Amino acid sequence: MSLLKLENVTKCFGGLVAVNQVSLEIEAGQFVGIVGPNGSGKTTLFNVISGVYFPEEGSVIFDDLDITHYPPYKRARLGIARTFQIPRPFSSATVRENIAVGAMFGSLSGKVGVDASLKIADHIIDRVGLQDHRNKPSGTLTPVEKKLMEIARALAMKPKLLLMDEAMAGMHPNDIDQMVAFIKDIAVEEKIGIVAMVEHIMRAVVGMAEKVIVLHQGSKIVDAPTKEALEDPKVVEVYFGRAPEE
Amino acid sequence: MKKDISKYYPLIPVFAAYLVLFLVGRNISGMWQLVAMLLFYSALGQAFNIFLGMTGYVDFGYVAFMGVGTYGMALAITKLAHIEGLGIWIIIIGFILALLMSTLLSMAVGAVALRLRGAYFAIATIGVNEGFRFFIEGARIWNGSEGIIFVAELNQILGRKTASSLMTYGADIIVLVIAVLAAVVTLCYMRSKIGYALTALREDEDAAKVMGINTTKYKIIAFITSACFAGLVGASSWALKTPYVFPPEVFEIHYTVEAIIIVLLGGAGTLLGPLAGGLIYGISKYYLSILLPGFQLLIFAPIIIIIIVLFPEGVVGMLKCKLRDSTLARFII
Repeated sequence: MSLLKLENVTKCFGGLVAVNQVSLEIEAGQFVGIVGPNGSGKTTLFNVISGVYFPEEGSVIFDDLDITHYPPYKRARLGIARTFQIPRPFSSATVRENIAVGAMFGSLSGKVGVDASLKIADHIIDRVGLQDHRNKPSGTLTPVEKKLMEIARALAMKPKLLLMDEAMAGMHPNDIDQMVAFIKDIAVEEKIGIVAMVEHIMRAVVGMAEKVIVLHQGSKIVDAPTKEALEDPKVVEVYFGRAPEE
Repeated sequence: MKKDISKYYPLIPVFAAYLVLFLVGRNISGMWQLVAMLLFYSALGQAFNIFLGMTGYVDFGYVAFMGVGTYGMALAITKLAHIEGLGIWIIIIGFILALLMSTLLSMAVGAVALRLRGAYFAIATIGVNEGFRFFIEGARIWNGSEGIIFVAELNQILGRKTASSLMTYGADIIVLVIAVLAAVVTLCYMRSKIGYALTALREDEDAAKVMGINTTKYKIIAFITSACFAGLVGASSWALKTPYVFPPEVFEIHYTVEAIIIVLLGGAGTLLGPLAGGLIYGISKYYLSILLPGFQLLIFAPIIIIIIVLFPEGVVGMLKCKLRDSTLARFII
């Protein structure tokens, strides 16, 4: 049984079809990379999964539940967490409070109180290595630290599915390797299904994903194990263009 | 389970400030009038802060809740005046009615307006108090534009002596109690899930939703709580202090603007801010009108502009920033 299933999802903005008849499946605990050039519909797809947009057509099924028209907060409680391409911290709140919000309102919502959430936050802060910034307002962090905090905040939600929107963009290659290793560890521990959407950073995709879904102009063109997908002539063409005709 | 008392330390400066105010008013002759005004402004700020400060939404129709609160008290007193032996209980019934009416109005307004965001919410609420005022006048509800005068009923029920001390001191003491209560509720909210949810939605509403926060629910909680306190302030500071109510006086947008200034001066979303803002605003307004009658607004406006420019997060917001990491930080939030 798959954790997340999209069936023929279409999302339009006026005349522009941003996501066109996309179907896909993600198993629990599976690492999936969604890649594609700029404007291929990756972020829109994420927004449809996390409930920021409702699709015009098709359905979103999570854990055997049709959540196509669920508001975002209900999906978060079911276990869908996401990070944003441009980090969106709750700036005036400290790093600890930001992460505690994740624990308080995520899939543990109603089960943990404020104090327990702060404890979870402390634990995660130690795991991701943000100890020195624990009580700093999150608005004062560097961009990379903000990304790290967003991932921590999403992990605190104890999600079944974690959507990471270009979480590694702007990181040093060594940090990316570390981050990939860390996310893999924690995902296995917590049985989190992961969609890492990384566009330019193939290093992270190759290091992490078991399967890759390639989007191009809103449609899915390839859905295959990582190595196969990246060697697929259609993918090569999308990224590098066609070889000149002899 | 062991309760962590240190959580409630920030209430100490709040209590201390109100105690000092009370003692100054009682013991220095001629000061009560100023103290009463300061209490009114602080209570108004403290109540409005629960919505404006914690959610970041600007409600221009806020005074309407004070208005219906005033009507609640007035109606209770005039309609129940014929019942023998109610005595002081009539005041309590009045407060309950004020609470009920401001809750109902805030639910009605909130259900519609809180679906809007930012500037659209502000615009939608501008019409609330004007609309309500014209509704009362036009439909001739509760005596329409003639208002309700209930000095006689108050004297009759409570006796002349009690009634007059209620008008001169009692009402202000009740305002003090309401202000303290509002501060306690603010801190309880801050320390609970509600506070975390409100901070998150104030900073980034979309991100908050994706994090699992039912933003509409928490906005409505803050809105109704804030409106309830406004109703109580209206019922005591307006209805009991001056036992009459006229629509143009209680639905005057001027008070909403004052409330906004107080909250922003002191520091939106802080516990001590509305109190600090109320004191700064009240004291400067009072003394400027004595020292420079006629020119007070001319001087007052630049003072407010200077404070806002110097401390964009309010006086207490600035203090909080300066004191971070020091021991005092535990007392000032």
